[in-house]
Amino acid sequence: MVGTTPRDGQEPVGHDEARRAFEEALSAGRLHHAWLLTGPEGIGKASFAFWMARVLLKATAPDSTAARRIAAGSHADLLYIARGMDEKRQRMRAEIVADDVRPIGQFLHRTAAEDGWRVVIVDGADFMNRSAANAILKILEEPPPRAILILTCAAPGRLLPTIRSRCRTLRLEPLLPAQMQAVLARVAADVPPEDIARVAPLAHGSPGRALALLAGDGAALGALVARVLETPPDAGAMYEIAESVLKRENGFPVFFDLLCDAISKHARALALGDGRGEGNADGSLSAHRMAELWRRLTDLRVETERFNLDKQQALLSGLTLVSGR
Amino acid sequence: MKLKADRATLLKALAHIQSVAEKRNTIPILANVLINVADGRLTLTATDMEIAVVEEIGAETARNGAVTAPAAVLHEIVRKLPDGVAVELDHAGGDAPLALRAGRYTTSLNVLDVDDFPSMTAGSLPNHFTVPASVLRGLIDRTRFAISTEETRYYLNGIYLHVAPGEAGPMLRAVATDGHRLARVETEVPSGAEEMPGVIVPRKTIAELRKLLDEGAEDVVVGLSDTRIQFSVGPVTLTSKLIDGTFPEYDRVIPRGNDRVLRVGKKDFSDAVARVAAISQERSRPVKLSIGHNLLTLSAVSPDQGTAKEELDENHVTYDAEPMEIGFQARYLNDITDQIDRDVEFLFSDSSAPTIVRDVASPSALYVLMPMRV
Repeated sequence: MVGTTPRDGQEPVGHDEARRAFEEALSAGRLHHAWLLTGPEGIGKASFAFWMARVLLKATAPDSTAARRIAAGSHADLLYIARGMDEKRQRMRAEIVADDVRPIGQFLHRTAAEDGWRVVIVDGADFMNRSAANAILKILEEPPPRAILILTCAAPGRLLPTIRSRCRTLRLEPLLPAQMQAVLARVAADVPPEDIARVAPLAHGSPGRALALLAGDGAALGALVARVLETPPDAGAMYEIAESVLKRENGFPVFFDLLCDAISKHARALALGDGRGEGNADGSLSAHRMAELWRRLTDLRVETERFNLDKQQALLSGLTLVSGR
Repeated sequence: MKLKADRATLLKALAHIQSVAEKRNTIPILANVLINVADGRLTLTATDMEIAVVEEIGAETARNGAVTAPAAVLHEIVRKLPDGVAVELDHAGGDAPLALRAGRYTTSLNVLDVDDFPSMTAGSLPNHFTVPASVLRGLIDRTRFAISTEETRYYLNGIYLHVAPGEAGPMLRAVATDGHRLARVETEVPSGAEEMPGVIVPRKTIAELRKLLDEGAEDVVVGLSDTRIQFSVGPVTLTSKLIDGTFPEYDRVIPRGNDRVLRVGKKDFSDAVARVAAISQERSRPVKLSIGHNLLTLSAVSPDQGTAKEELDENHVTYDAEPMEIGFQARYLNDITDQIDRDVEFLFSDSSAPTIVRDVASPSALYVLMPMRV
């Protein structure tokens, strides 16, 4: 159902500041050899990286043959590295391993095929394991001429500081509502507008997250959230829930989004309507307490993502908070 | 696109193409062959984005056009067709499948868009020259054994082709080294190559080129820029990226003052080295050369297996300088003697300094070998 991918020749929507920074560096002829694109999951980092590649490889016209080759993965001066597919388990592997990044050295030690820049994109650099990261570091330490490395990364805290310090960082900010509309109209053209309107506010300016909410995962995780709120899970059930959330790509942020959203709706309903803030006899469902729960869950999530804490533990803590309301 | 080609011709071309097309199928179109009919000429192209092979073959062409289809499948089908049959390829354009007919056999293959096929042949190559295939073969064969396989020294992972001032005017040189041995072979500069930039041709390109050189073409047209090299061998054109690096100043490791000259028959020497080294269990298989007046003693010692020794006397050896002892890896000695026709000449300085090895009959080749302690 997803209409277009980051490879396709589209202009990035939003991210004006990052775009300006890159264009200025390019026109001044002072292009740093390594760029780090940061920002939340699904915000358009890979799309932005491919746009940079198209600018460098003179392929900005969407119908040009160079743009076609970039979209097909067959441009001889562009190398794209991401997590591999685990064929047995039918999902993305958990890490980018040394074997995945090995082609970079070979690629950069060859001349360009079309007499211009050579571009390497490492999508999801935060997934690199130690040996992969060290291999990248080695390349960053001795950058070959006329070569640009673009790393995308949702959790810069997981990168080696020595890699971070060698890259010029561009922070991609969440999209504004109008920009979200524009992107979603393009990438989810076949989705009814009311569905888009439903998920857009939950996605916090990240089109990728909106797509995840629209896809099957969104529905399955939504069911889990409903279950958690209906009957507070016991310890065994918590583990089971945490596991089924984490086995999904992007399960953690989507689950927290849906959970926080459901709680905030609940709190609002209590504050405005039936509950009037007084709570039940046992005091368990006051709007105040729900709002407090929402705040603590939001903090937990932000801290977990910022400091790269253990997601399973964070989920268990979150579920404990919910059960203890 | 529509054409009719002879099965044997098509098969031979597809076999060349096959060896370059990507087998690991991460980018689907790299597993495809580009079949192009333009102005009545049929060309097949395959690439792994480092090397591209284009081959022109004779065919009856009925309609211009281009399409890409899986190289391995096409090769397999054509291989299994009976000999002597005419193969008809027909593609209506766009996403329509490629129809193949031969006798009563028909198949239709899924295609991928031609515009997605990598382009390796665009851009100009300012330097052009022609070399006889036999000369190019000589340059490659006598140097490729010394190419380094160490990835960290990527700039040694190929043959350095360049024009250098020789003793009698400029020469076209091929040089390869892995830090333990070095091979330098030179030939007259072909007309048009005088201004060529020095380039490092990757090992894989050398291997593909070498296969083509055995197929009977007399001359090879070489085109190059500082980022690409192209070899036209008969109907086949091989285009390759180059190694992006600086080849070390190898001249500095070629010793100048080696004056102890040992001459020995190639066959006597290499057989003796192999026999003596057989005792050694170490990977490097060190062999000690003890040299006296017209006498060479080869010996090897293995702590576990015992010792081995062989003498080559004045019937095989000439040597007229101070007696000395020096050690080498057996494989390195044999790699070099394999390149030599009849008589080997060693030029020593002392037991710890690099040694020069030459072919007495062919002064165009020079080898440098580092000794090892034995």
